[in-house]
Amino acid sequence: MLLIKDEYPKLLFREDGKRLDGRDKLELRPIKMEVGVIKNADGSAYIEWGNNKIFAAVYGPREVHPHHLAKPDRGALRVFYRMATFSVFDRKRPAPGRREKEISMIIGDCLEPVLFLELYPGTSFEIFIEVVDADGGTRCASTTVAALALADAGIPMRSLVTAVAVGKIDDEIVVDLSGIEDKAGQADMPLAVSWFNNQISLLQFDGNVSIEEFEKFLEHAKDAAQKIYEIQLAALKNKYISIQNNVEKDVEKENKEVEIK
Amino acid sequence: MEEDERIKENDDKEKEEDVQNEKELGEEDSEGEAEVIDEITQDVDEFEDEETTRELVAPGEVLTTEVEKYLPGRGTILSKDRKQIISVYIGLKNIKKNYINVIPLKGLYTPQPGDKVIAVVVDKNPVKYRCDINAKDEAELKPKNTIRRMKDHESKYRHYEQEEQNVDKFDIGDVLIAKVLSADRLNKPELTTVGKYLGQKVGGVVIAIDPPKIPRVIGRNGSMIKMLKNATNCSIFVTQNGRIWLNGSGRISAERLLIDAISKIEREAHTSGLTDRIQAYLESEKIKRGIK
Repeated sequence: MLLIKDEYPKLLFREDGKRLDGRDKLELRPIKMEVGVIKNADGSAYIEWGNNKIFAAVYGPREVHPHHLAKPDRGALRVFYRMATFSVFDRKRPAPGRREKEISMIIGDCLEPVLFLELYPGTSFEIFIEVVDADGGTRCASTTVAALALADAGIPMRSLVTAVAVGKIDDEIVVDLSGIEDKAGQADMPLAVSWFNNQISLLQFDGNVSIEEFEKFLEHAKDAAQKIYEIQLAALKNKYISIQNNVEKDVEKENKEVEIK
Repeated sequence: MEEDERIKENDDKEKEEDVQNEKELGEEDSEGEAEVIDEITQDVDEFEDEETTRELVAPGEVLTTEVEKYLPGRGTILSKDRKQIISVYIGLKNIKKNYINVIPLKGLYTPQPGDKVIAVVVDKNPVKYRCDINAKDEAELKPKNTIRRMKDHESKYRHYEQEEQNVDKFDIGDVLIAKVLSADRLNKPELTTVGKYLGQKVGGVVIAIDPPKIPRVIGRNGSMIKMLKNATNCSIFVTQNGRIWLNGSGRISAERLLIDAISKIEREAHTSGLTDRIQAYLESEKIKRGIK
């Protein structure tokens, strides 16, 4: 029995027309990504998307356990989306629930088309996604970071995948819903784009909107995804570019020292 | 009619080009096999090529839209509408003749027939050994591939004692240098330990780095590995599956320095002027650590 009822604010916009966290309608939360954060994984990535903090680790191709899940003609992609017990306001029970299984499945289904699984029969790729801190839109952030971890592992991919949510709150279309907006809003549509031929790889929908509004949703989602994709690419390349820059700095330093001598 | 002829001409030209390319590729391969650098046989040119740009590309990035001018090489695919060439790895863009390649910066080892690998025996049964070779499948080593088979005339004139075909030769945990006999997408790769430089390695240290960075540890025409050997007086054996065996015959500090140098090479594999920098690093570290 709940002692404290979940109460949401009646209005989701401030008086100055901005959202509760001070964003414009089509503004994204601050996003920070990094790759190669877990040493023991083949590939890994970390994302901070607003208050969301998510790790992803990729292993594979490797032997499948349990063995009956192996497919003779193609590799198996297995995704394990898990939330930490302390990631939400109430304690989250650690056993994987209905929601986690669903999100694991949809992330797997949305990443599978960009991989060349037919090259690795009888093996499995495993993606472990650990949500350390959650505040709305974890499935979008998880998809984004999982694609990044796959690319970091050096697994051949057709393209990266980027996900973003679009929704409707107080009769206004907004991009990238936060936790409160997600729960109290009228509609919510997470959407993932695979940049190979600009296809939609995942689309879920919850709420009531007209067809015209839905088309606007798609437009806004595409613009927002483009912005996130650029951050994704920069994060992926930054791992190597930073090393190059450090080396160049060291060389310059040495040259200067030699000149002084 | 004219158009038809033109198309035919074009076709002929393309065929000629293809044949040329194949020839060139074949030549490269044979050169690669012929180059024997101390203990290493590998084709090395992957990283250091005059036309290698230092341009980083990510999976899904468009490499070129001039499909008529370039062909998709290694690490690339043609988009479905056949108008773009797309990278499938995070790597360095490389243009060789009319092929666009992407040299991956990270990835997994795929066994190819003829590769030399460092294998660790993980299991054995009366029929075969199972070996870990850092690939997606475990490799098989059959006893008949561990002993030298005699030719008929040898057995007539020299009285060799034929070794028995059993699995007593190696134990679980042994480190072997082996050659891949056969490997494909579906079956387990098969190894052999009969041949030059092959067999069990006793003593020394085995370290592992990313397999795509192995060409950098060898360097162009083996320059890097020669330098490492001369600077540290250690014996090194580099194999294509990303494992490196090294032995300083008891000089632990030299081994330690060599491992540090190799990890530096791995970290900075995509940068230019690496050999000179490593040489400077080794010299300064040798003074710091007091290694002669």
